Amino acid sequence: MSTDLKIEGVSKNFGSVSALRDIDMNVEKGSFVCLLGPSGCGKTTLLRIIAGFEHATSGRLLLDGVDVSNVPPHKRGFGMVFQSLALFPHMSVAQNIAYGLKLRGIDKASQRDRVEELLNVIELPTIADRPVAALSGGQRQRVAIARALAVQPKLFLLDEPLSALDAKLRENMQIELRQLQRKFGVTTVLVTHDQTEAMMLADQLVIMDHGVVRQSGMPSQVYREPADAFVADFLGTANVVKGEVSESGAVTFLGILAQDKALPVGGAGIEVAIRAENIAVVECENPERSILGTVEFVRDLGPNVESIIAVGEEKLRVRSRAREVVSLSAGQQVGLKIDPDLCSFFSR
Amino acid sequence: MFSSLFSTRGGSYSFVIFFLTTLGLLISALPVIVVTLMSFSAAETAAFPPAEYSFRWYEALWAQLSSDESSSAHSLGDAMFTSVLVAALVMLIATFVCVPLAYALVRGGGRVRAGMELLFTLPLVFPLVILGIAFLLIAESLALDLGIWRLVIPHVALVLPFVLRNCMSAMNGIDIEIEEAAISLGASWPRAFLDVVVPLMKPGILAGLIFALIISFNEFTITFFMYTIDVSTLPIWMYSRTVSSLDPAVLSLSVGIILVDVVMILIIDKIIAGRASLF
Repeated sequence: MSTDLKIEGVSKNFGSVSALRDIDMNVEKGSFVCLLGPSGCGKTTLLRIIAGFEHATSGRLLLDGVDVSNVPPHKRGFGMVFQSLALFPHMSVAQNIAYGLKLRGIDKASQRDRVEELLNVIELPTIADRPVAALSGGQRQRVAIARALAVQPKLFLLDEPLSALDAKLRENMQIELRQLQRKFGVTTVLVTHDQTEAMMLADQLVIMDHGVVRQSGMPSQVYREPADAFVADFLGTANVVKGEVSESGAVTFLGILAQDKALPVGGAGIEVAIRAENIAVVECENPERSILGTVEFVRDLGPNVESIIAVGEEKLRVRSRAREVVSLSAGQQVGLKIDPDLCSFFSR
Repeated sequence: MFSSLFSTRGGSYSFVIFFLTTLGLLISALPVIVVTLMSFSAAETAAFPPAEYSFRWYEALWAQLSSDESSSAHSLGDAMFTSVLVAALVMLIATFVCVPLAYALVRGGGRVRAGMELLFTLPLVFPLVILGIAFLLIAESLALDLGIWRLVIPHVALVLPFVLRNCMSAMNGIDIEIEEAAISLGASWPRAFLDVVVPLMKPGILAGLIFALIISFNEFTITFFMYTIDVSTLPIWMYSRTVSSLDPAVLSLSVGIILVDVVMILIIDKIIAGRASLF
């Protein structure tokens, strides 16, 4: 049932505004792709183009090698979960799930079997006859997913489906969603602005900004080797500071000297991204490879302690494990250790 | 019942609330009470309050209805039939115009919507007498025998804003994603419209229907300009029976109309509430 999707040079203009520019993307059969980006980056527009609700200004969509760009949305055979979930309020749970089957002319008995099967999969076997309004947030969520999966979609599309849930429930639903997707083996594209959600769900992470793809790859790879300062900053908490490359190729930033960095040489300014968790806070007397900073703000989050530490002009966000850090208080002088091997360097 | 209601709400203002509620009820119910009482009068002429009560004016009304000669110019039966027919046509036409129109205006959005809303609201603020004259001039200039349509068309124009407003407020509550959800599941747009949009608009459509029916059925001012000997409605008939001297049978008739209206409103209300209870 599963299919692969290829997006070739898709652009979209709304009047004179360019929402998407020349998007290329490969979604492998059975994989889970997350489109991640800040609001207004074009990720929802791209999903709506895939679904067929928007028409690309240029470019093609290939489904198993077949161009579907001009196929109307109701003939694409995709399942979609909307941000508002968009359950039909005048129908029962069973009617909602069976709606797509009914349209496909499937007989009543098979419809009932399929509804029952899906309700079992989403672990809500007893709610078939309930009106949608009588469901809790998490139940609605599952029904919306079941409705989209009932038609055995070629492609499973989700537009920020978990954004309305509270944090705890959202985390559970993420796990469930991932398990369901594996179980059905359906090729999936999910749009989110929540980086934790994207990291946890995706086989392939696509970071978008201002209508272009900034980076695409496995989540861990994108996290460890961000392609540019934007990605480093957007994914996780990173400090992007200015640095210098000397004629010899040595890099200096925050008074730290890093050798042998493969970088465009030429004395140009560069940007260095340092992850908040890769900065170690030490006693300030220890001068070896540490720099001095002043604690400006501390918050204890339980497992982690987050602080903002001023080093010269720069204000660094630091995340330390609560057990491993010296007790911090505002105004305190501390030493910081930064391993250049864990930093990312970008030409400016 | 009132005392418990008002003692718990409004605090020290409960007296003011009680006073205003009573006043409001009295003002809106008074004409109905007076007309109903007078229709049971046993006297020869209408006077309030009646000295004695009887069913004589109901009997007179019944006699008039059953012995009515269809050839007579101002036949009660004909007027009643025309009224019902006009109201039914107006109701259907207004609904068939307003459901798609409300959809288009709400989904279209923007400046077009504001302009169109204003345009369709115009008959509300237009003096009815002038509207009647305008329609009369148009009808005369057409030099066509419009038949019943010379009443239906102006009535549609008159009820359109009410029906449209009801349909639009129902339409406003329908998220476009619900429509798209149906489409994504394989419904063509017309199918999605019928399966999802129309059922969700139902309360608004029904409210619009009843508005259209009652407004058209009771319309007098414009109809007064437009009616002919062949095409005349109940309010015109009633007016002709009261303009020189008040025929108490008219009061009996209006009690009947009020009863039908109330029953109709109750039925529609039941349908809408049954629909709303789904939420």
